[in-house]
Amino acid sequence: MRLTALLSRAVTMPVILAWLLFLPPDEAGAQPALQPLLQEHQAELARPSRSTIGPVIAALLASDHPGITDFLRKWEAREVYLRPEDGLFFYAEKTGSRLRLIDIDSGAAVAEPGSREIEQIRPNAGVRREVAAALVPFELNAADPARRAAALDAIARSAEASQIAPLRESIGTETDPALKIRKERLLTLLTAQFAPTRSERLDAIAGLAGDISIEARGVLNQLTATRDGVAAALPAGANIARVLEPGTDLTEAQAHDRLVAAGLAPPRQTAADLRDVLAQHIVEGAVGGVPLHRLNTTAERIRAYEALERAGTVPPRAAPDEMARAVAAHVFYTEYLQPDPRITQAAEDALAATTRTLGLYQVADLVLDGLSLASIFFLAAIGLAITFGVMGVINMAHGEFIMMGAYTGYVVQLFIPDYTISLLIALPLAFVVTFGAGVAMERLVIRHLYTRPLETLLATFGISIALQQLAKNVFGTQARPLTAPDWLSGALTLNDIVGISTIRVAIFVLALIFLALLLFILRRTRLGLEVRAVTQNPGMAASMGINPDRINMLTFGLGSGIAGIAGVAIGLYAQVTSEMGANYIVQSFMTVVVGGVGNVWGTLAGASLIGFLQKGIEWFNPSNTLAAQTYMILFIILFIQFRPKGIVALKGRAAGD
Amino acid sequence: MGNPDITPRQSFLARTPSVLWFLGLLGLFTLGVTVLAEGFGMALLSTSMVKILGMTLCLCLIAVAMDVVWGYCGILSLGHFAFFGLGGYAIGMWLMYARTEGIVIESLANAPIPPTQEEITNAIATQIFGVVGSNELPALWTFADSLAMQLLFVVLVPGLLALVFGWLAFRSRVTGVYLSILTQAMTLALSLYLFQNDTGLRGNNGLSGLQNIPGLLHLPQSTIALWFFWASAAALGAGYLFFAWLVSGKFGSVIRGIRDNEARVRFLGYHVESYKLVVFTLTAVISGLAGALYYPQAGIINPAEIAPIASIYLAVWVAIGGRGRLYGAVIGAALVSLASSWFTGGGAPDVNLGFYTINWTDWWLVLLGLGFVAVTLFFPRGIGGLFDLLVRKP
Amino acid sequence: MKKTVLAGLATSTALFAAPALAQDCPIKVGVLHSLSGTMAISETTLKDTVLMLVEQQNARGGLLGCQIEAVVVDPASDWPLFAEKARELLTVSDVDVIFGSWTSVSRKSALPVLEELNGLMFYPVQYEGEESSRNVFYTGAAPNQQAIPAVDYFLDELGVKSFALLGTDYVYPRTTNNILDSYLKSKGIPAEDIFVNYTPFGHSDWATIVADVVALGASGKRVGVISTINGDANVGFYKELAAQGVDAADIPVVAFSVGEEELSGLDTAPLVGHLAAWNYFQSADTPENEAFIAAWHDYIGDTSRVTNDPMEAHYIGFNMWVNAVTEAGTTDVDAVRAAMWGQEFPNLTGGMAVMNTNHHLSKPVLIGEIRADGQFDIISQTEEVPGDAWTDHLPESAPLKSDWKDLGCGMFNTETATCVQMTSNY
Repeated sequence: MRLTALLSRAVTMPVILAWLLFLPPDEAGAQPALQPLLQEHQAELARPSRSTIGPVIAALLASDHPGITDFLRKWEAREVYLRPEDGLFFYAEKTGSRLRLIDIDSGAAVAEPGSREIEQIRPNAGVRREVAAALVPFELNAADPARRAAALDAIARSAEASQIAPLRESIGTETDPALKIRKERLLTLLTAQFAPTRSERLDAIAGLAGDISIEARGVLNQLTATRDGVAAALPAGANIARVLEPGTDLTEAQAHDRLVAAGLAPPRQTAADLRDVLAQHIVEGAVGGVPLHRLNTTAERIRAYEALERAGTVPPRAAPDEMARAVAAHVFYTEYLQPDPRITQAAEDALAATTRTLGLYQVADLVLDGLSLASIFFLAAIGLAITFGVMGVINMAHGEFIMMGAYTGYVVQLFIPDYTISLLIALPLAFVVTFGAGVAMERLVIRHLYTRPLETLLATFGISIALQQLAKNVFGTQARPLTAPDWLSGALTLNDIVGISTIRVAIFVLALIFLALLLFILRRTRLGLEVRAVTQNPGMAASMGINPDRINMLTFGLGSGIAGIAGVAIGLYAQVTSEMGANYIVQSFMTVVVGGVGNVWGTLAGASLIGFLQKGIEWFNPSNTLAAQTYMILFIILFIQFRPKGIVALKGRAAGD
Repeated sequence: MGNPDITPRQSFLARTPSVLWFLGLLGLFTLGVTVLAEGFGMALLSTSMVKILGMTLCLCLIAVAMDVVWGYCGILSLGHFAFFGLGGYAIGMWLMYARTEGIVIESLANAPIPPTQEEITNAIATQIFGVVGSNELPALWTFADSLAMQLLFVVLVPGLLALVFGWLAFRSRVTGVYLSILTQAMTLALSLYLFQNDTGLRGNNGLSGLQNIPGLLHLPQSTIALWFFWASAAALGAGYLFFAWLVSGKFGSVIRGIRDNEARVRFLGYHVESYKLVVFTLTAVISGLAGALYYPQAGIINPAEIAPIASIYLAVWVAIGGRGRLYGAVIGAALVSLASSWFTGGGAPDVNLGFYTINWTDWWLVLLGLGFVAVTLFFPRGIGGLFDLLVRKP
Repeated sequence: MKKTVLAGLATSTALFAAPALAQDCPIKVGVLHSLSGTMAISETTLKDTVLMLVEQQNARGGLLGCQIEAVVVDPASDWPLFAEKARELLTVSDVDVIFGSWTSVSRKSALPVLEELNGLMFYPVQYEGEESSRNVFYTGAAPNQQAIPAVDYFLDELGVKSFALLGTDYVYPRTTNNILDSYLKSKGIPAEDIFVNYTPFGHSDWATIVADVVALGASGKRVGVISTINGDANVGFYKELAAQGVDAADIPVVAFSVGEEELSGLDTAPLVGHLAAWNYFQSADTPENEAFIAAWHDYIGDTSRVTNDPMEAHYIGFNMWVNAVTEAGTTDVDAVRAAMWGQEFPNLTGGMAVMNTNHHLSKPVLIGEIRADGQFDIISQTEEVPGDAWTDHLPESAPLKSDWKDLGCGMFNTETATCVQMTSNY
């Protein structure tokens, strides 16, 4: 390492000399050139690494060269290029497909090399963070509020004691009220961590009590960070967080492992160790008098070892209670890294004050997530519920209608680049497309199978695989982008814990709209009346002058159309692929069946149950989402056994079988 | 179906000549394949073809079971492939364990000190579960070293699952499409469960290398392929005979009655639920057996095999072949699965329409899907129905 | 003495066996990539890559005086079919080499057949390691060529102290995360700072998981995400990251399965600065890469198509195979295998790839930051790292070693100095 550094120095020295020689004398007199200074740190600047850049930045800033902060900003933004042939740095601007190199000191265009003759210097995120932190004192009072905000972000990302003074000074002159609040808050956080006096820190820590933001809790948790310790007796002067009781707080084996790790006890002999020791003492086909072929049980191996032990060739085995004795002879504890007990106590108190609020907010967030998932399930299933409930028809191609809707959205975005307008067009268009597809399917296939519901299931399945493959042939298997407009792409956040992405809120609203709309159509319109009549008794409805064929067709179209709109909504937050429908179909069926067939409220109940249940199970086992889905389905299977007609049972044609 | 002229005393084979026809054809087919095969015959059929044919016979067997439960008893189960898969898993556990045990013992034989049983077990576990990041043998594998026990599980596990599931479902009078969805949920839950890596059956990787039969490693695959082909043919023959017998007698009449009008049969005093349960469980057991023969030929079983789609395909085969006639199921399964592998294997020539070239790899599923709709709409009796037209002259 | 005579004889026969005589024309190359089903998305591209390479080689005059013929089959993303089609390729089509497979399970399905029939396969995808078959050359990255350098980058360059390992629930993420877990612990990261989550294939409901990751920041430690999320599920994941405003400067995400191809299904503007680790990025500025991309665009007839890491792996693998066959003067598997060891070919990213005797390549490791145009800015490129078949970071695998040349074993236990098995674990 050192050698290469020396070498690079040796190479750069002549370069610097050459540079100095060629410098125009007047400029050199007016302002020292930056390039030679940079060349002193050529290697570190050309191949920056977080581990080595700190001293370099400090040295550069210490030079007080007027252009240095500007250079660092550009360097950090990847606007600095290196010419390997002479090791010099340049700024650059794009001219068509080529780059024009600009001299750092004179600002004059120098050359237009090919892309392989120069290297763009790309400081990584870690280095950029270091630079941003180092530039904080210069940026805190920058005229541009965006730069001031960036400087504050830099403090939040890498807090240092040295930032306290410039930050405090800058608060007085801050004109932007929002930034001022942010600055004060960051000052509190910095003070809590780095202030020189205890009282200042205690005040700051007290000010963080009850603050549930991640920043504040991060600081408090750092202050109360602990490490595990083990010793013969509790060390004096240490800031002990807790003494651990072997047997209750940790098992004896764990305690012993800690002893071994701390070098306070010899490691336990494992079965493999025993075997290896025996293998080293094989004498004429036997170990300690036990023939080799009998050493295939642990008991015989121990016997052989004990024989060796008696012969004095191996050290004695640990006594059976040796582990217990070793554990009993030591004390196990956790110790605060922070040596001052009053500060750790204050931090613990401040954290404890957040616990309860935190729990409440976490529950609130879980409820929001559950609500969101339920609304997605509802949206995906409601179209199915209508067709299933009213017509007793299982539409296995329902998922493919969802997919068709999503692809419609994608195609519209291909033609209309404005995401808002394209979404406004895509939603009704998706409805129209899938409405049409649904009507066509009803007329061509389902109408002929009304007497054979099980066969509808299979015929629609045939349509489903055909449509899926067709989508693959047309759009390819690659996921297609369906991008939400900017006003839908953020998140609504109450605080650092409770938040939900806007698109999910939109889906929730959409679900509510459909709920209201369907209730209105079914209860308050002529069509709804006829649909309900056909649902309850098609024959009677027909004799009353209602045309059941027309009603069935419209109902089917309506259900399919809603699936299309659901597809657009789902595509906005997840992936658009030819298989996306298949991912929702089984869940949609279960939503419908659990909720109770043929009833909008039932579907709502089913979606809520499944959505909340899944989130609940995930909460218990956050590391395995798959398990949550499995248990949810098992629950549904059992649930249906006990309530075969679902949560909201209905009378009518669907309930007849 | 029942002909009043025939006395019940007449043997069922005489009553159902199609069974004899079927068995005869199956025997001829088996003989033909044997003669043409690489293993013992003229090597006109490649080993991979023999394997495909053997696997197809297993699919025919589960299709026959499916026909009994759906075509005769009217229960559209969308979960029978779960039983097929469970049978495969049960036998796969033994195949993997015993093969790995052989490898482990051979490698540990060089060790200076003979291994303990525990060391052997640990080494086996590391070998099998290393790929899923575990080195402990799950409790599920307790009996994996015993072929007899695992063979018992081939029957017991699908049978018990079907019994419990069926008992719960039929008891609550879940019928029609509800039952279909419920069975679909069952197979989905099972496949999701098996997809998890820590459930002891190697998650998405499943059990693999099953074509290497422990104890028969010295034999070439061409011979083993033929043996399994014979076993599959025998199983299909026996299964067909058994189901044909089952549905030909009074039991068959009752379950057909249940299919046509469940309430009426119940009012006649039959305990409908028990009949359904027997059919459901029996077909599940046969499905498990079919799976246990299928997967050693396929070489690998993993949870994707029992995804709901597989069971739906099963129903599709039976519907295309023609429900309510056992040979229909066989025809459907054989035809569709062989056609599938022909089309997707690039066997079918591309069709050039001038402006567009139809590549069957891409278009086969579209064709199958639409063909299936057509069969449902226009030939509800399936291909077997055409057969009936030929056999029974008007 | 006798030995030398024999050896001399062997060389002379090799010399006299003129290539055109010994070789049946045409030379057949099997392509075992799914063209339908879920994996078609990734594998079709690789099929086209092999076809392009075959075409290029034929234009250069073929191989050993023969034309090369590609035999394409479709295992349809159905794992058992990989075994069936591999057998068909080797016994019915009599191919000399197979290029194929993407998922580990498909490779493990084909493995027994390859080993039984002594076939030869080139596997082009980054994978979890823990395998070295006599009959497979692994041209994708082993964990030490992708995962470990990426974690080092997180630890050293970004200063990450709290890790979220998110993956799809299958063998690659599981094994990789196991390796990383023990690696991180060896680097002093305590267990409570490693959050692990597995999701199903095609998962779309990412809100809770992303929120969980953000909440890790409450420990006050710098959080980083190691993603082994596979395929489509990434779309929802990155959309949710963008929606919750997770800035790469605050919580960087490094992905091992997201390349140029996967990003084409996404609006990458909100993802700028998140990372991926590969052995190749399309943005690598070398003459070889420029030529490769130009040839690809020319072959596929679409200049918007991207290139990616597995394509480079096939490019290296195919060319190495061609050179090995030329060297051996035959397509005989055993001879080609021996000629493959030590085979060198220039990477598209610069430097030289070398095929080691453990059947893994030495390749440089690149880390790239996502750009707004869906490409990557290469911010770190290591020297060539030799692929390690058996990881040093798991206790069971640490003593294992693969060396087909000198030890003649892919799973050699250095503690007991025995070959555990000649076949592979499948």
